[in-house]
Amino acid sequence: MLEIKDLHKRFGDTLALDGVSLSAAPGEVVGFVGANGAGKTTTMRIAMGVLAADSGQIVYDGAPLGVEQRRRFGYMPSERGLYPKMKTGEQVAYFGELHGMSKTEARRSAGELLEQLNLTDRAGDFVQDLSLGNQQRVQLAVSLVHDPEVLILDEPFSGLDPIAVDVMGAALRDRAAAGAPVIFSSHQLDLIERLCDSVSIIGNGKIIAAGGVEELKAKEVKQLRVSVETDEDLTGRLPGTVTRDGDDYLVEDSPDDQEVLRIAAAAGRITRFAYDQPTIAEIFREAVTR
Amino acid sequence: MTAQRNQARHDETSRMRGLMLVAGREIRVRGLSKSNVISLIVTVLIVGVLAALPSLFGGDDGDEKIGLAGPTAAAMQTQLDAMGGFDVTVFDSAGEAEQAVEDETVEAAVADGSLYSRDGVGNETEAKIDAAWQAASVQTNLASAGLSDQEIAGALTVQPLEWVTLESEGGVTGPLDYFTGLIISVIMFMMLMTPVQYIAMGVVEEKSSRIVEILLTSLKPWQLLGGKVIGLGVISLVNLIAMVAVGLGVSAATGMLSDLPPGTASAAVSTIGWWLIAFALFGTLAGGVGSLVSRQEESGSVLTPLIMSLTLSYLGAIFLLNAPTSTFAEVLSIVPPFSGIAMPTRMAIADVPAWQIGLSGVLLALAAAGALALGSQLYKRSVLYTGSRMKISEALRRSA
Ligand SMILES: Nc1ncnc2c1ncn2[C@@H]1O[C@H](COP(=O)(O)OP(=O)(O)O)[C@@H](O)[C@H]1O
Ligand SMILES: [Mg+2]
Repeated sequence: MLEIKDLHKRFGDTLALDGVSLSAAPGEVVGFVGANGAGKTTTMRIAMGVLAADSGQIVYDGAPLGVEQRRRFGYMPSERGLYPKMKTGEQVAYFGELHGMSKTEARRSAGELLEQLNLTDRAGDFVQDLSLGNQQRVQLAVSLVHDPEVLILDEPFSGLDPIAVDVMGAALRDRAAAGAPVIFSSHQLDLIERLCDSVSIIGNGKIIAAGGVEELKAKEVKQLRVSVETDEDLTGRLPGTVTRDGDDYLVEDSPDDQEVLRIAAAAGRITRFAYDQPTIAEIFREAVTR
Repeated sequence: MTAQRNQARHDETSRMRGLMLVAGREIRVRGLSKSNVISLIVTVLIVGVLAALPSLFGGDDGDEKIGLAGPTAAAMQTQLDAMGGFDVTVFDSAGEAEQAVEDETVEAAVADGSLYSRDGVGNETEAKIDAAWQAASVQTNLASAGLSDQEIAGALTVQPLEWVTLESEGGVTGPLDYFTGLIISVIMFMMLMTPVQYIAMGVVEEKSSRIVEILLTSLKPWQLLGGKVIGLGVISLVNLIAMVAVGLGVSAATGMLSDLPPGTASAAVSTIGWWLIAFALFGTLAGGVGSLVSRQEESGSVLTPLIMSLTLSYLGAIFLLNAPTSTFAEVLSIVPPFSGIAMPTRMAIADVPAWQIGLSGVLLALAAAGALALGSQLYKRSVLYTGSRMKISEALRRSA
């Protein structure tokens, strides 16, 4: 279990983090969402020990996170970086060693990853000679080479081609299935919706909404969508605030949904009767404007 | 308790491992790069050829062929043989001797108080012949004044001067010569200048490629900086050792090794010691100031003060060679960072009191420790900062 607790961080006059807390259980994929400048990168950098917090702490399995444990984490910074003049295979293995693997372990793991990422025949090339898409894959290999216990990825999907997005998505789910807590930030809310178990939304350095994806959606539910095959106009007859969305009736603040069902059923064949669930995008917009 | 101690030991080994991994990468990527290997091969070839040159052009055994004739011939021959370096032929007459010079069978001839040569002789040869002439003439004059050979020998026997150096204590090697000092200063300069620039370039490369952010998740800034300094230090040392080995090897093979001034070996060892300290000083500073900029184009501007002081140290050392006993030489060889190059240079050419060597070493080591602290603080505080060039004061104000 990785817990980020009450982080505060100030850069000169900007208060970047104002009490950010966030946690990921083993096997849980947490989406970290927020507008540009909200504080995602700063939070992740502090979690990875690259930046020091003014206050707050990072707790791993119940104790403050140590340097040795952190070396077993996998990190992808938002600003990608590789040694341009180092061979791909050598570079991935080097990072394995930096994260505590033996030389042979690191080589083997690097070879396997490059194989998975279809880069085996580029292993002897300098990174600078690879296409941008392939460099992104190498970056992914660098963050996964040491079989990390925890993944913290800052916008891992940005700049990826659709195939790489799938590879990355599968890699995240794989790691989570193996029991690793995974936290990643993204602006692609459809991806968050598809991949995450829970979401934390940050705005201006504060967490403004957090919870399981299903739970959040359920909490935000307000409107009932009803489709009835009828020529009658039910707008005035259904209890609650009724609006039309095409042929559908949208009923908000209804005092009694069973009453809505009865009236609709009497009018004609009901083809749809369900509460609308907001998308993560809508929840995000809602949370940010609140 | 034991667990804690084990943990501490474990942390210690992993800290060292991190440092060595960084150093190892520098050595592999930079030391074994095509350009470095090629430049090393070229340098080694040049050194080999330079070392072989004297025996290629020096001709036979280098003895000067001299012809002698006339009444002083016998005395002259005794004197010249005693000096060594001459291949003497005695001719029956001055005419024959002159003819031999003409025919190039001898370089020069001394007969009837004249020195015959085709177009003059070298300074050293002239001085020796002159000295031999003086001594031979004194001997001849004494003999004609009626002294016996024994009396003459007694009169001419001179006890060589005994050297007493008042301020010198044990362990100090005697003076070598100007040339050794020159070589030491040139090598020191090159061995500092090149790696220092590579360190700064490497730091900027990691910053500009943004890789430093992932590196810092598994390494501490001091490991990253220290590993780089060690790695480039090792590369420089290997380059130097290759050059020295080839130079000495070729000299040994061509039989010139015995011509090297005595004390060359100990000078080489102590020079490496001075280099290690000076390199720690300049190397860590280069890493520190390199981290102030984010783009390779800007690294020149922050390196300028370092390059300037290195160049000044070098020029100072060259100047010192011409005035090794001046106050300027003493001060320059004690004050860091100039002492890094100046002291080993001065030690090669002059007798340096032990206390000055000690003081200079301590001051340079202190400066290196200060540079280590300053360089790593600068590095730690500015390595993650991207944007325009940072001022040193600004970097030191930032929290890490
Ligand atoms: N090194 C820094 N120096 C000064 N301000 C910074 C620095 N890093 C981040 N900030 C500021 O902190 C705030 C949060 O930034 P960041 O964590 O990068 O947001 P996000 O990743 O969500 O876009 C922003 O206002 C940003 O300008
Ligand atoms: Mg960001």
